[in-house]
Amino acid sequence: MDWYVSRCAELSGPRLEKTEAFLKEMGLKYEGGADYTVQLVSDASEILANGSLCGNVLKYIAVDPRLQGEGAALSVVSELVSEAMRRGITKLFLFTKASNEMLFRGIGFYTLAATRDVCFMENSRTGLDRWLASVERFEGVVGAAVMNCNPFTLGHRYLIETAAKAVDHLYVFVVSEDASRFPFEDRIRLVKNGTKDLKNVHVIPSGDYMISLATFPTYFLKEGADAESVYAALDLTLFGERIAPKLNITKRFVGTEPYSPVTNGYNGIMKRLLPRMGVEVVELERLRGISASRVREALDRGDLAAVRDLVPEGTLKYLEHIE
Amino acid sequence: MEIKKPGVAGTMESSDIIVRIEPKETEGIELTLESAVMQQYGKQIEKVIRETLSELGVTRAYVNAVDKGALDCTVAARTLAAAYRSAESTEYVWNEVKAK
Repeated sequence: MDWYVSRCAELSGPRLEKTEAFLKEMGLKYEGGADYTVQLVSDASEILANGSLCGNVLKYIAVDPRLQGEGAALSVVSELVSEAMRRGITKLFLFTKASNEMLFRGIGFYTLAATRDVCFMENSRTGLDRWLASVERFEGVVGAAVMNCNPFTLGHRYLIETAAKAVDHLYVFVVSEDASRFPFEDRIRLVKNGTKDLKNVHVIPSGDYMISLATFPTYFLKEGADAESVYAALDLTLFGERIAPKLNITKRFVGTEPYSPVTNGYNGIMKRLLPRMGVEVVELERLRGISASRVREALDRGDLAAVRDLVPEGTLKYLEHIE
Repeated sequence: MEIKKPGVAGTMESSDIIVRIEPKETEGIELTLESAVMQQYGKQIEKVIRETLSELGVTRAYVNAVDKGALDCTVAARTLAAAYRSAESTEYVWNEVKAK
């Protein structure tokens, strides 16, 4: 079958509709976010294969069965990798059904973590180890908390302070993904400044190896699958199997979650999975029920007085400055 | 030649190889190779990559290669191009690709 390669930066209009229809036929759902798309198109302008680059994640890789076995997936992925490199993105990731693991292995992707449902892969066998080697290691009882801190509140401060008292060293991983209201650089700076006095607290970017729900695609999951549980199990498997042992982490701290069912579900799965991997989960009561979402709501109402009650000095100054 | 930034050359098409070179702080070449013909030619491909880098004086690098059945001359050429890109060098000396 004859085809040509078509590339585009943004999917929109009739092209987006055609792509959505093609993906649907292939059993995938388009969820947006494509920065660059490569398609193989027939002379009759039918889409025969698709693949997209979304930040540093390859998504929507699908090939028409008529073209399978002719290296179509290779052509598409190859083009996407070249474009990513041109854009200066060298670390690439993808999520796929567990059954496709070997296919992507053949094109240079290596498994970071796998669950029954899904497999998370990187285009490097040593990427995770290199990241782990760049993080300072500590002896004694080492704990960890993963936080978005969007923005840093008195609640975060309380959790970090309480956790730090229970361990010799505490890692605070701040979610690097820029899918939040406040940019990563500002979020981590506020955490660093706000915990400077706690000498055994080490604030570190979460990097690429703590999966954000924002980048986790759910389109390849079976209809009705609980995407949030699948995501949680994958992220926690990566943390428990690959990260915690290397950094000597034996405790993971979380705040109780009365507001968000998603986070609450995540914490539930954490309590079930991590102890099996040798990591104890310590759930800490929230300070006065403070949450970053309450801060954002107060900001939306323009109610800085309410914000004052929820955040430390440093965060308040920052918010006054930008709002 | 010093590897300053990630550089890549090649494709994943049949008979080609894609070579990615990244900076490494410590001495040594750390190579990961994936090949459709690993059993038959894995060692040979690795040898060509290492020799090409050695001729260029590259002694510190992470190298990641995905081979789809490339001939030795292709392996050498892709390695060379990726190294030049990584070193931000345009002083190409193409005769470094020797007839093998």
